[in-house]
Amino acid sequence: MADVRRTIDAVWKLESARIVGGLARLVHDVGLAEELAQDALVAALEQWPEAGVPDNPGAWLTTVARRRAVDHIRRERRTSEINPDFPYEDEPAPQQDDVLRLMVVCCHPALSREARVALTLRLVAGLSAAEIARAFLLDEQRVVRRIAAAKQTLAEEGAGFARPSTDALPGRIGSVLEVLYLVFNEGYAATAGQDLIRADLCREALRLGRMLAELAPAEAEVHGLVALMELQESRFAARTGPAGELILLHEQNRGRWDQLLIKRGFAAMLRARALGKPPGPYVLQAAIAVCHAQARTADETDWARIATLYDALVRLLPTPVVRLNRAVAIGMAYGPEAGLSEADALLTDPSLRDYHLLPAVRGDLLARSSRHSEAAREFERALSLTRNESEREFLRRRIAEMAAPAASGTLGAAVAAFLARDDLDRATVRSYGQTFTRLRRALGDSLPLDELTADRVAAVCTTAWGSAAAKTWNRHRSTVRSFADWSSLPGIAAGLERRTEKPPENDPIPPADLATVLDSPRHSLRERTLWRLLHESGAPVSAVLALDVEDLDLNDRRARSGGRWVTWRSEAAALLPGLVAGRTSGPLFLTDRRPGPSTSADRCPHTGRARLSYERAEYLFKQATGHTLRTLRHADQ
Amino acid sequence: MRYLMIQKPSDTHPDEKLFAEMGAFIEELTVAGVLLATGGLEPGGVLLSSVGDEITVTDGPFAEAKEAAAGFALVEVGSKEEAIELARRFRKIVGDGESTIQQVFG
Repeated sequence: MADVRRTIDAVWKLESARIVGGLARLVHDVGLAEELAQDALVAALEQWPEAGVPDNPGAWLTTVARRRAVDHIRRERRTSEINPDFPYEDEPAPQQDDVLRLMVVCCHPALSREARVALTLRLVAGLSAAEIARAFLLDEQRVVRRIAAAKQTLAEEGAGFARPSTDALPGRIGSVLEVLYLVFNEGYAATAGQDLIRADLCREALRLGRMLAELAPAEAEVHGLVALMELQESRFAARTGPAGELILLHEQNRGRWDQLLIKRGFAAMLRARALGKPPGPYVLQAAIAVCHAQARTADETDWARIATLYDALVRLLPTPVVRLNRAVAIGMAYGPEAGLSEADALLTDPSLRDYHLLPAVRGDLLARSSRHSEAAREFERALSLTRNESEREFLRRRIAEMAAPAASGTLGAAVAAFLARDDLDRATVRSYGQTFTRLRRALGDSLPLDELTADRVAAVCTTAWGSAAAKTWNRHRSTVRSFADWSSLPGIAAGLERRTEKPPENDPIPPADLATVLDSPRHSLRERTLWRLLHESGAPVSAVLALDVEDLDLNDRRARSGGRWVTWRSEAAALLPGLVAGRTSGPLFLTDRRPGPSTSADRCPHTGRARLSYERAEYLFKQATGHTLRTLRHADQ
Repeated sequence: MRYLMIQKPSDTHPDEKLFAEMGAFIEELTVAGVLLATGGLEPGGVLLSSVGDEITVTDGPFAEAKEAAAGFALVEVGSKEEAIELARRFRKIVGDGESTIQQVFG
């Protein structure tokens, strides 16, 4: 018995739309048609357990129901004193047309949206009132009453069962599409752990959508909606984690996307496009879904195209939610600031006042702009506006991240996140990078942030830049401080005192310092020779660096360079022979290391080394003294 | 729920009528919104078996059937009974032979 019951259910699910549609064509009343079909079902329940399931159960149900319909019509005619033998109207029409009419009537404009949904699920999808109630978390009696009232309304309106005129059809189908997408979204909002029938709503909506695509193949928006649902459904499994938590699109494991449904979505999209009409709202939304489906990784998403599609969509469907999604797309395509200015414009929209996704989106954009405390406030607001537990969990996580954006991480990860911010220009990133390269090398990428103490930072900085110019020191110091603010670890810069900078140009080296530097054995022969030479000759730095060995007249303490004489005195004269060291030609001042194979020909024939560059020479002197090489020209000793 | 219906190779000689009826049946499944994918299957195929590190590849056919017509349909329905009902209609069209129905998980 139980098996027969399940078979009857199965047959009913597969056949109900055609049976009810066919009956409605006879009796011109979908409510009555459904009752007649129900009678046939009851008959099946009575007879099949005894007689067995008929060979063609669908045909059996249809025949029984039609017989009752004819009886009903005869009875009506008798009571209304019309000749009962007058042939009842049974216009020949393909069964498929019946189903299309049934769909359209169930979404009649005289009905409320809730009534359309209930009636469509009941009459077209063949769901029971109990199933609909469970799916929509409603009381079953309420659904029963809603369906009865809807049938009543249709009868009173004289909705009948006529095919809508060609002009009216797209509008009526639009109403069907709205209902299908509503049902789909109701199912899509269901999460793991909830009654499975809720998630089944997606399948029902898709099934009806695929049906409609065959029944009304010339309507591009039908194919658009089918494509949209296929593509969204393809991500169903990937959008929740093992504990039922929500996983955002860009964090989903794309390997879990259902490739079969993606292909079906693409195919539906091609059918829509092939009709060559300007895209409607569903086609545009499907096109956006196509962009996501085509990106193999989240980073490959073509956000600029998505933003353009939203521009078009917002013109057709200027709802606050579409405008908000557009802000998200713009934020992804053109940076968080651009997204924020779009999202901020929605703050004054009263219909979004209690919509939790507005603060959630703003929070995300603020977080990406490194405005963490503002972002946290927005996430708090969003949290107070939603009751969906998986969304609440997600928001709590975001709030915790804002409080300590990287406190739980490592030095390497935090630095990477710090440098990856959108608001840093390239020069800043390069400058910051120098500080962090040193810190990461000294402390290790895997150092937990809570072990990053002021003492450790100070030790690294002092070793690296303690003897550097004040300006250099201060630059590294301010990088550390800015990182400290960002990572909410203000203490880590405590060991770094600001140093007083001296404008180097206007401040010649004090003679005592100069003597120390020039005589210090810490510096190499090359440096000491260069500095002596610059100091004694007063020649431009570039002219001295341009000197070749063959230019030197060691006896006369002079050399020809760039059309002028460079002359020196005893100290440089004492150092030069050591630097020349038997070389007979090539650049006088050489780099420490051999250059790579592709560098210029300006190199030493003896050692293969290249000429010392101005930048390198300047850097070495700055490291040693904090001054520029030019100050040597005018320094007194 | 997804079910994979597989029609095993049989001795039935596929004729014009069978192809026409199959076409109509596939159309019906499509209009019903339950058919995800369908196709015919090469009768024999290739058999791969592994024992330890060794993998053996054997070319088909493995059945006696000469005029084998095999195929599959992947359907999405609400219950096993619905899948059975669809397979029942299918069997009526193709005549003597066997089909299997297996739920597809994941």
